[in-house]
Amino acid sequence: MLYIWHLSILLSALSLAIMLLLIVRRVLQERRGTTGADQRRLLLTALIAFTENRDREALKTALLAVPARVAVDAGFEFISLLRGEEHDELLSAFNECGLPALVSTQLEKGNAAERIHATEMLAALRSENAVASLLSALDRDGSREVRIAVAIALCDLGALPPLVITLRKIGVAGQRSRRLIELFRRFPPKRLDELEDYARLQGAVPFIRAAAIDALARNGGFRFGDFFARAAGDPSSEVAAAALRALGLTGHANATAILTKAMEIGGWNVRADAANAAGRLGLSELAAPLAQLMDDEAWTVRYAAANALRSFGQKGEQVLREIATSEVSRRQRTASLILAEGPAA
Amino acid sequence: MFDWSQEIVLGASILSWFIIGAGLAQTAVYLLQLIIAAYALSKRPPVARSALLWRRYGDVAPPIALLVPAYNEEVNVVESVHSMLALEYPNFEVIVINDGSKDQTLQRLIEGFKLVKFHRPYEEALTHKPIRGLYSSPMTERLFVVDKENGGKADAQNAGVNVCRAPLFCVIDGDSILEPDALMRAAQPFIDDPERTIAVGGTIRIANGSRIEGGRVREVRLPNRLLPLFQVVEYLRAFLMARLAWSRINTLMLVSGAFGMFRRAEVVAVGGFTGGSMGEDLDLVIKLHRHMMDTKRKYRIQFIPEPVCWTEAPESLRVLARQRTRWQRGALECFFRYRSMLFNPRYGRVGFLGFGHILVVDVLGPISEVLGYVLIPTFWLLGILSTEYLLAFTSLVFTYGVCVSVCSLVLEEAELQRFPRARDLAVLTAVAVIENFGYRQLNNLWRVKGWWQYLRADQSWGEMTRTGLTGPKK
Repeated sequence: MLYIWHLSILLSALSLAIMLLLIVRRVLQERRGTTGADQRRLLLTALIAFTENRDREALKTALLAVPARVAVDAGFEFISLLRGEEHDELLSAFNECGLPALVSTQLEKGNAAERIHATEMLAALRSENAVASLLSALDRDGSREVRIAVAIALCDLGALPPLVITLRKIGVAGQRSRRLIELFRRFPPKRLDELEDYARLQGAVPFIRAAAIDALARNGGFRFGDFFARAAGDPSSEVAAAALRALGLTGHANATAILTKAMEIGGWNVRADAANAAGRLGLSELAAPLAQLMDDEAWTVRYAAANALRSFGQKGEQVLREIATSEVSRRQRTASLILAEGPAA
Repeated sequence: MFDWSQEIVLGASILSWFIIGAGLAQTAVYLLQLIIAAYALSKRPPVARSALLWRRYGDVAPPIALLVPAYNEEVNVVESVHSMLALEYPNFEVIVINDGSKDQTLQRLIEGFKLVKFHRPYEEALTHKPIRGLYSSPMTERLFVVDKENGGKADAQNAGVNVCRAPLFCVIDGDSILEPDALMRAAQPFIDDPERTIAVGGTIRIANGSRIEGGRVREVRLPNRLLPLFQVVEYLRAFLMARLAWSRINTLMLVSGAFGMFRRAEVVAVGGFTGGSMGEDLDLVIKLHRHMMDTKRKYRIQFIPEPVCWTEAPESLRVLARQRTRWQRGALECFFRYRSMLFNPRYGRVGFLGFGHILVVDVLGPISEVLGYVLIPTFWLLGILSTEYLLAFTSLVFTYGVCVSVCSLVLEEAELQRFPRARDLAVLTAVAVIENFGYRQLNNLWRVKGWWQYLRADQSWGEMTRTGLTGPKK
């Protein structure tokens, strides 16, 4: 029984000793922290002065006068505020001072949060070795969040490997992150066909295929209309819904037929997105199927259908008013609620 | 003549072993939590600057509805809502639910935000007391106020869930203060793993003593009084150690009702918050675990230490006692309501670790410890037990307690460093030691009282007197 007592004394003494060390560390940090803040302030002053006098040598002197970490941290935020020649000259100064090397080290040796930040800084600093460092990290980094950040940085630098390879390196577990939506949105216009090819892959993760379709609709427009029309009948409801959203943005010659079919046979998210697309495209000939959808068991679908009718203007509102004054039913209640939406009289 | 002395010694030894065994189990759980929490923090270090988060996640952050139940909050409500509207998140709305307040809460909101009655269609997915009216503000599109009949916090939250349209909602107490980047930080798991993440909890910290202006904590300071200081250490232990550890192994049983983010569809699927529950937050999370496991879906319920919600801790023993007895009743109520999950292989680690933890810490813990305070010294004084027993019990109650409390401070300082001065750390270290000599015992007495109230089916909530974080002191 005594060992319980002895162990407790040992553990509590150990914890107190560690805490004492941390307090001492904090005291030292407080002293250094003031210096760090001062250095940061000095560097920011030099950066602002640079935007006025463009004296690159003076800036380099200021950059080398502070610890590299302070220079990179303060510089990263400042660089993101600049554009054009000023931006390029500042990057040159940072590169001439060898600061990207520190960031590359951080990408290799930092913790996960630091490594993600390092990818962003490398993309911003655009150094010669940035692409090589990032490609290496895409191959070997153990964290999928870091690998996704690396892919985004490579995309910004125009050096993203083929999409299929990139996604394979990110790994299946990482292919459910909304960060990939950002990657797809940044995709270079010349490589949108790769996105289309990936979105066609039946074996790919539906979330990724849907994200690819959303990005194609935003950046590619009508060019992919036929693909969206075909994808609207995809067995995956997530993909079909994304294709309908895309059609709502781009339009299509057969949009009426496609949306009518989707309203009849799709899952609830497909029906809701079909209704939304009809409203967005102003397809008032779809008033009848939309009125049917207002009886749907899912509230989201009923609300989308009623909203679509309302967006048709007078004709749609007339349909809604007729439904609202009909016998009490689910659709009648939905119509009444939609007509009443807004500030009370 | 029969000699009873041997039987008495045997009985005392068995009872002592039960008490020491329960203490050992509890201590083992705490030490395990410490190790897992340290590992979790090392694997997922915090992102220091919120500007980076905005830059990284701003474009893909999902819409969020902030649900704020308010009951008799006339003192702070307008300033609290102003501070919520100023949160840094690209796409959110604030829905304040006036739960039939008897004071001027609604009137203050109407005046403060020039509210007008508004018709807004919503899904009647969850049941709750009737809504008397919805209000919107011409000053901001982000604000809606739901005025409903009084039905309690869970009922108000259910009304908010019905009215909100965002796929995610965040519950927060009306008198709490969210840090400006708290939503962005809490939304991170929903961005990184949107299919599996169904709930995320953030850290609650004590704001007593801190400088608060314009609904924001401008300067973090420690409370001046001892009782809230004890609670600072207690909260650190609860959040940085227990929740972080259980979150790491997907066994998190509690996402605090004072600050938790949930996916709406799953909450609706489990019937929302349980009305009249003493621990509606614990109840909801248990229901979510059960639902996801019953439907055999992969899911994550996570705790993220960086998003911070500041709250006011009770400063008087009377109010604190009421709060703690209520928490104890809530834990017991949930434990017995969902007792079929305990050690049930169908519920895997949630049934064994999650429910096992509630059994050891919340159900048996206070009773065995209070029994120990009385019986073990008595047995020792009577010469029934040897000194070894007394030392074992003393170490479990006091010295391991010091170790666990100080280690949670070590975690805080090693990774988060939210206390600005070295002096604060020194004070908290002292408090982490002192709290084991008096405060811990008092807490256990309140929890035993909670047990007693639970057995008597006492359902009173108890008035939570607050002086107000943002408003003028009463």
